[in-house]
Amino acid sequence: MRSMKDVPREDILTHGHGACPGCGYAVTAKNIAKMLGPNTVVYVPASCLVVFGALYPYSAWKTPYLFTAFENTGAVTTGIKAALRRRHIDATVVGMAGDGGTFDIGLQALSGAAERNEDIIYVCLDNEAYMNTGIQRSSATPFGAWTTTTPAGLEVKGNRRFKKDIARIVADHDVPYVATLSVAHFTDFVRKVQKAKEMRGFRFLHCLTPCIPGWRIEPSKGVSINRLAVETGMWTLYEVENGVPRVTYKPKVMAPVTEYLKLQGRFKHMGEADVRTLQAWLCEKWRANYGEEAPSPPCVLPPKEEVLAHDGDTLYGI
Amino acid sequence: MYEIRFHGRGGQGAVMAAQTLADAAVRSGFQAQAFPYFGAERRGAPVEAYARIDTSRIRTKSQVYRPHLVVIMDASLVELVDPTAGLRPGGKVVMNTTHRPEEVDLGAGVDAECGTVDASSIALEALKMPVVNTAMLGAIARVWDVVPMGAIVEAIEDRFGSKLGHRAGILNAEAARMAYDATAVGRTIGHREFAKERRWMPVWDEIPISVSLKKTVHDEEEVGPATTWQHRTGRWKWSTPLYKKERCIKCLRCWWSCPDAAIVRQDDDYMRWDLEYCKGCGICAEVCPVDAIRMVPEEEGGNP
Repeated sequence: MRSMKDVPREDILTHGHGACPGCGYAVTAKNIAKMLGPNTVVYVPASCLVVFGALYPYSAWKTPYLFTAFENTGAVTTGIKAALRRRHIDATVVGMAGDGGTFDIGLQALSGAAERNEDIIYVCLDNEAYMNTGIQRSSATPFGAWTTTTPAGLEVKGNRRFKKDIARIVADHDVPYVATLSVAHFTDFVRKVQKAKEMRGFRFLHCLTPCIPGWRIEPSKGVSINRLAVETGMWTLYEVENGVPRVTYKPKVMAPVTEYLKLQGRFKHMGEADVRTLQAWLCEKWRANYGEEAPSPPCVLPPKEEVLAHDGDTLYGI
Repeated sequence: MYEIRFHGRGGQGAVMAAQTLADAAVRSGFQAQAFPYFGAERRGAPVEAYARIDTSRIRTKSQVYRPHLVVIMDASLVELVDPTAGLRPGGKVVMNTTHRPEEVDLGAGVDAECGTVDASSIALEALKMPVVNTAMLGAIARVWDVVPMGAIVEAIEDRFGSKLGHRAGILNAEAARMAYDATAVGRTIGHREFAKERRWMPVWDEIPISVSLKKTVHDEEEVGPATTWQHRTGRWKWSTPLYKKERCIKCLRCWWSCPDAAIVRQDDDYMRWDLEYCKGCGICAEVCPVDAIRMVPEEEGGNP
């Protein structure tokens, strides 16, 4: 498979699942599953995908599907692969964890599986907070973002820490393949999943998946907002194949981060100082990832609007 | 002690309604508590919220199982859950429906005083959006005389005003007043027998070790892999895609980007929409490079 045209028509994650309208998580999981094909075993730890993808005894997956505890993705996929090997079944084993199950809770099992170079595909569907339980901060939450545990208070507004670079941590385990994906970059996405499918050993796919209620965005932006994430440097598309890093898409010029922030309610409270801090961090990230200095683009803050209920109300919208 | 249970859908503001009712009760000299059901917080999903009102300190912290008052914020919920479960004798029901109380059927055995109001229309008229919580509060004041209307209006103006801006407070209070006037009070007597839920749940020893559950049929319902097709998620949508085939350049972006696999790529690479499952998010219209897809309100109707 080289482009979208070659992706099979048959869905593996089928319709009727219960994701929010416009869910970026569902788009990403659907397309990865579709490309991996029916000869796959899917494991999902606690995440949105458990709740919307399969509620016992129903399942949206056509493939065998397993769910256990939050922290186990690395361990359980290892076990599934071992059982298949023992029974001489050649099937792809994929674990689809969220950012909480990868960055925080599942890190030890992930590190163990990566270090042992288990023959599995680990997909991290990163929506940048614990969205399923009601938007709590994770170590994937970007700087300045509002979550229910990093509220926009009077003194401190939003998350104070920068996003952890999990793909680099996994790449430092010397695994065969690590890639970052964005569902809005279609051809790049197809190429990377295909590459992961064909390889053996531990493969890590890190996908940015927009969350409609958690990011406070319009449902229709569930895919296209990823383009802005890449253009502003909030997300970088690269792959590390057998230890050799390669950037697969580089924006021509760096777009000001405010272009990305202004579409999302979770960044609405950000002041000038915070935006400048984030922009400086992005320029540094740009230099580290693309190997060239980027002149800091002018960040124009959108006009301040009246503060809305969901900025403080943890239960807004229920 | 009075116990109140709100049945709504995610996004209708059931929790805000419970909190505002508790707020109004405190303003009229009661002790009160309000809290949501702990569960998935998805838009459109059936949700519950609870409130307790008493003259002395409330020590109970559990969910409400035996309510004095049930508030049904969406009439279609009656088909999905049993809102009057545990309703106390003499308990009351407030419902968002276009029907009169005598025409409402909440299931065999239900005989209760009932207030009905077309809160959806009132909310659309007053607030320009289908958030019915404040209109329902007005209807509650009409049916249930424990918390007076004055306190409810005050609580709405204060609570919504401080959170959503002064104007929102005024508009929401107006919605409550309109609903108070429009509520029809009567008696509902249920006759209909709702099918008892007989969900088949295989236990561990029904599934052989190291074999995944196969697709099987139980009680005329499929269980196992790829069985969510039975959940018609297309009912969630408020807008629907309109596809102009002659403009389509077969770029496949909509097909790729649909979260619900509701866009079918046909053999000739043109698209077909499966509106039974389309949730109306509008991603397809957003990613289309040639404006072949447009989102239109559901009433106008899209094309398959």
